[in-house]
Amino acid sequence: MADQLLEVEGLAKHFRGGGNWLTSGGDVIRAVDGVSFSVEEGETFALVGESGCGKTTVAKMILLLERPSGGTISFQGTDVSRFRGSGLREYKRLVQAVFQDPYSSLNPRMQVLDIIGEPLRVHQRMHGRNLRMRVGELLENVGLNPVTASFFPHQFSGGQRQRIAIARALALRPRLIVLDEPVSGLDVSIRAQILNLLVDLQRDLGLSYLLISHDLAIVEHMSHRVGVMYVGKMMELATRDEFYGNTLHPYSNALLASVPNPDPDIPMGEAIGGEVASPINPPTGCRFHTRCPIYMETSMCRDVEPDWREILSEHLTACHKVEPALV
Amino acid sequence: MVNRTIEDDTLLRVEGLKTYFFQRNAVLKAVDGVSFTVAQGEAVGLVGESGSGKTMTCLSLMRLVPQPGARIVEGEIWFKNENLLDLTEHEMRAYRGHRMAIIMQDPQTSLNPVYTVGEQVAEPVRLHLKERGQQAMARVLDSLRSVRIPRPELRLGQYPHQFSGGMRQRVVAAMGLTTEPELLIADEPTTSLDVTIQAQFLRLIRELQQESGTSVIWVTHDLGIVAQMCDRVNVMYAGRIVESGRVRQIYKEPQHPYTRALLDSVPLMGARREKLYQIEGQPPDLRSIPEGCPFWPRCPDAMDKCKEQYPPRTSLGGEDFVHCWLTEEGR
Repeated sequence: MADQLLEVEGLAKHFRGGGNWLTSGGDVIRAVDGVSFSVEEGETFALVGESGCGKTTVAKMILLLERPSGGTISFQGTDVSRFRGSGLREYKRLVQAVFQDPYSSLNPRMQVLDIIGEPLRVHQRMHGRNLRMRVGELLENVGLNPVTASFFPHQFSGGQRQRIAIARALALRPRLIVLDEPVSGLDVSIRAQILNLLVDLQRDLGLSYLLISHDLAIVEHMSHRVGVMYVGKMMELATRDEFYGNTLHPYSNALLASVPNPDPDIPMGEAIGGEVASPINPPTGCRFHTRCPIYMETSMCRDVEPDWREILSEHLTACHKVEPALV
Repeated sequence: MVNRTIEDDTLLRVEGLKTYFFQRNAVLKAVDGVSFTVAQGEAVGLVGESGSGKTMTCLSLMRLVPQPGARIVEGEIWFKNENLLDLTEHEMRAYRGHRMAIIMQDPQTSLNPVYTVGEQVAEPVRLHLKERGQQAMARVLDSLRSVRIPRPELRLGQYPHQFSGGMRQRVVAAMGLTTEPELLIADEPTTSLDVTIQAQFLRLIRELQQESGTSVIWVTHDLGIVAQMCDRVNVMYAGRIVESGRVRQIYKEPQHPYTRALLDSVPLMGARREKLYQIEGQPPDLRSIPEGCPFWPRCPDAMDKCKEQYPPRTSLGGEDFVHCWLTEEGR
């Protein structure tokens, strides 16, 4: 792959909280607890995990919607927390997002022209005919008729709304788009339309994607590299072929085995027991040890946090039971 | 058809079911002539997109269609030798929650937040099995145990908010299964669950089904769940079943263009498709279902005939059938 576009190093986000409305709670929620990965030019990097694993919090920090408690995010080699003024505006232009729910991510009182045009007005002071032409062009890019610019969100179906959200994200010619579960709110037949559109746009515009998803089939279809998170930690990171062909971490294996295969002749794998651990007082040692099928009482899984190691070239994992093949 | 004696192992036979929504100036044909059977111990899938009528079909089976607004206008629902649509509301109660139970999509809303879990699981026991006190308690514990809820003695005094999503869905399953129903309707019970929790729940339902011989209707849009859980599958589109067959048969050789398109449009693990097959257009709006076959505007093989007339039922041997002019003409 080409150059690094975004690099995340030891990223952490701890929230105060726990407790309930009576006890304000001195607990610390370790939503993200030291996560490192990078997104390269033109690639799709997927963050996979179950609810509460911190994948969305990572996305929010990259979008500057949450301030990290630790670690750094660098964009094209510069620490984003140092961005001020025009540098900050430029970062916000280059990094865009498409969210899960196209029903709540579009303002129902705004025309499509204003929804897609707003970033153009704010960042590029575009207006009048130029603005209308650019919005029309963007609508065409995402497969919508330019005359729909005067419509309101309620006049569109879910799939079309997601296209509008994509057009808005494309308006400022970004380099990186954070896709947070972009198709989970859509019907099966519409999902393929949106996924194909995203793949086409990436190819035509050379975009990078950070794809947040819990759907391993979609991730396999879309991504070049995959990172698996569990309770705020990265468990495994590899290229797509390595990840799906040579899975190392028992949690990744469990995730893959849990997907009901749409082939009646391939039975479902062994399900793991237990529930996703809480990020408040997460398990000691390896966070997955409470559910791990290969955990052993005598091992250090319970007490020592496994190191984040490169086991094979570009294939990292945090597990005591996986021995590096690299010398 | 109607007077045909029911074969011994048929538990449920739905004939020409139509459930319509009546609005001020429109009639929405949510279910428009649905026929299918469920044999004893069989798991049958109802697959379709939102608005295809799968949930309405299930609510019709339970006679729980939203009132006012919707009404079952036609059809028969034979549960063994009784047509459920002929029963009085009082007689229906002997079925609902007792001989047939439903697990809904969202365990957040299908449990009452102000009653303990034990009280809620006990309700069908009190109402249908007329058991009280110690006896009822023992049965509640049994059923919580059967859905593998750890430490049931402690858990039954707790409230739904003290349970995780997966555990809540197990409680709902326990409520449904405690009266040992002959038919369980599972309406997308795992959509709100995480993958590993979903896998646990699917496994659990399959085990319980094998133990008790309960028949199950799985409502889902997830073709993976159907492949893993069902013996037969009915594919629904715009309120009708467009194709019905054994799961293996349908997944290997789908006959209806919509079935084929659905199977080709989902990313499969390990399949590595370059591009996903794309069904053009939108799922139909029930307010304006196209004339003829409702799928024709999105169908790659649509002919003139498709725009004029709904295709008849073409038998594919046994209980399997398809509604498509291509198969009908090609015979």
